[in-house]
Amino acid sequence: MFDLIIRSMTQRKMRTGLTIFGIALGIFAVVVMGGMSEQMNLVVDKSLDLMADNIRIEPDGTFGGIGTLDESTVSQVKRVPGVSDAFGVLVTVLDPEGGNGGFSTDMVFGILPEKQFKDAKLTSGRYLVPGDGYKVVIGSSIARKFNLKVGDELELKSKRLQRTSSITNTRNVSVVGILEYTGSMFDSAVQIPLDRAQKFYKLENTVSLIYAKPATGTDPSDLAKRIELSVEKVKSKSPEQLRKEIEGQLVIFSLITISAAVLAAVIGGLSVMNTMLMSVSERTKEFGLLKALGAERKTILLMTMGEAALMGVIGGITGIVSGAGIVHFLNKSFEAQGSALFAITPRLVIIGLLFATILGIVCGTYPAYRATKMSPMEALRYE
Amino acid sequence: MNNGNDGNNGNLAGDCEPVLRVRNLRKTYVQGKIPVHALDDVSFDVKKGEFLSIVGPSGSGKSTLLSMIGLLDRPTDGSVFIDDVEITKAKESEAPRIRREKIGFVFQHFNLLSTLNAMENVDIAMRFTGVSKNKRKERAFELLTQVGLGDRVKHKPSELSGGQQQRVSIARALANNPAIILADEPTGAVDTKTREVIVELLKGLSEKGQTIIVVTHDMAVAEQTDRIINMRDGMIVSDMRGAGREP
Repeated sequence: MFDLIIRSMTQRKMRTGLTIFGIALGIFAVVVMGGMSEQMNLVVDKSLDLMADNIRIEPDGTFGGIGTLDESTVSQVKRVPGVSDAFGVLVTVLDPEGGNGGFSTDMVFGILPEKQFKDAKLTSGRYLVPGDGYKVVIGSSIARKFNLKVGDELELKSKRLQRTSSITNTRNVSVVGILEYTGSMFDSAVQIPLDRAQKFYKLENTVSLIYAKPATGTDPSDLAKRIELSVEKVKSKSPEQLRKEIEGQLVIFSLITISAAVLAAVIGGLSVMNTMLMSVSERTKEFGLLKALGAERKTILLMTMGEAALMGVIGGITGIVSGAGIVHFLNKSFEAQGSALFAITPRLVIIGLLFATILGIVCGTYPAYRATKMSPMEALRYE
Repeated sequence: MNNGNDGNNGNLAGDCEPVLRVRNLRKTYVQGKIPVHALDDVSFDVKKGEFLSIVGPSGSGKSTLLSMIGLLDRPTDGSVFIDDVEITKAKESEAPRIRREKIGFVFQHFNLLSTLNAMENVDIAMRFTGVSKNKRKERAFELLTQVGLGDRVKHKPSELSGGQQQRVSIARALANNPAIILADEPTGAVDTKTREVIVELLKGLSEKGQTIIVVTHDMAVAEQTDRIINMRDGMIVSDMRGAGREP
């Protein structure tokens, strides 16, 4: 049976090729878009893991952006029963002028040296220590992007709007440590002592976020609620809530990217249906003959659906291979700038291949049904 | 595989039980709102090894009759028995098995698959019977040799003449040792010289015990068969046997 399917496909090389190309293009889109979504998922997952069980407290009324809190709020949080420790972090963007075409995830974290997230290991140098001045510990992506090693200097920029003009300040800071690759937001982060960050960005006594550590035996969700009730004008999120919220946002992002990709793949699938309908119409007489020779309906069904499924599989493999190739190439070029944008996970490969095969089978079903329902006599008379 | 041939030489038609019985067969089509009687109370028997031709003008119902016997279409009324099995009562799901075991088709325009070579075109008829690949290959070669194409097994239809293609088609019809071969205008698309080759081939098969029914316009072909059924307006108007064509 398989040899008959192959013969039918190779007999109409151009049409088969174009159909496979259509499917491949759709699966290519699934792989590239899905790869972007997978990478985002991985980064968020790892970032949340590194944050461990900290409760995140931010100003009430900020939606996604970075707000500001008075540093005295840290003490208020510390006083909430169940909080073992709390510290503020000032978060700003590394390049306020939006370098790299306006797309940059590089951040500066002003942090108390003793409160650094030490889950991320160092590849060289040291962590910040109390008393450090304009010293920074940088993520692996930042190091690669600016080609920095320990002892080198990195330029910080701050931008302040004054009436109609903006003033940009710059200052060189020296790199004392470089973190290993974590696959999280810390790869694109510059960590600087909090007091220096506040001074440089002219945000004295200000933090963007507060992280609170629950005391042993305290339920983080309950504590997050207690903090919100005890401290004014803040909202706090337990690690669980934070994960849910971010995952919720990621679902929307994934839905948008995957929907676009699925749409492309469905268009590819329609080309399979069109090809198979034409093929069935052209082979009406052939199917009639096979029935006259004693072929059963299921044999004709298998031949037609098998052909559609095979085109789906070949298109799927082609799409995955070319998608992985392009993603590899793009990741290499983005790596030069410090970060990977796509992740081809085994899950994505399996989904891509399954989707292509199912698409082929589903889109081949109707043509196959048409092929089987023809009466052999009508089929043999068909011109 | 059902062995319809027993290898006996000579025409067996005279002293055997009928292999085919057609009883009161009717087929009515509705064209627009007008009923058209393509077959009207057709009955006859065909004995094993008989070489029979059905003749008549266009629209006389001869091809419709062949379709009913070949289970390619269903009658409005009446019965067809092959080897005492009423095939007209067979379920749709049983039809493929009956077609491959009992009937071999030969078509006017050969209906060979253009992508397959001569050997594969014969082989394909046996694929649906579950015969092993090696046995199919062996049988296909044997049949192609029998029809004089032993040296053309790897040729595709486009590389064969009309007569050679029709011989491949006859080999294909014989592949599953059917009880009856139904040939619809088998010489309709070949020249006079080739026509003689085809008729001789069919005659030879009949002499070896193969039952063959030929539908033809060509009286020169019909004259060479053992029996001629003449049809008109869906009915049998004459049924003549033997050299003297006695009823």
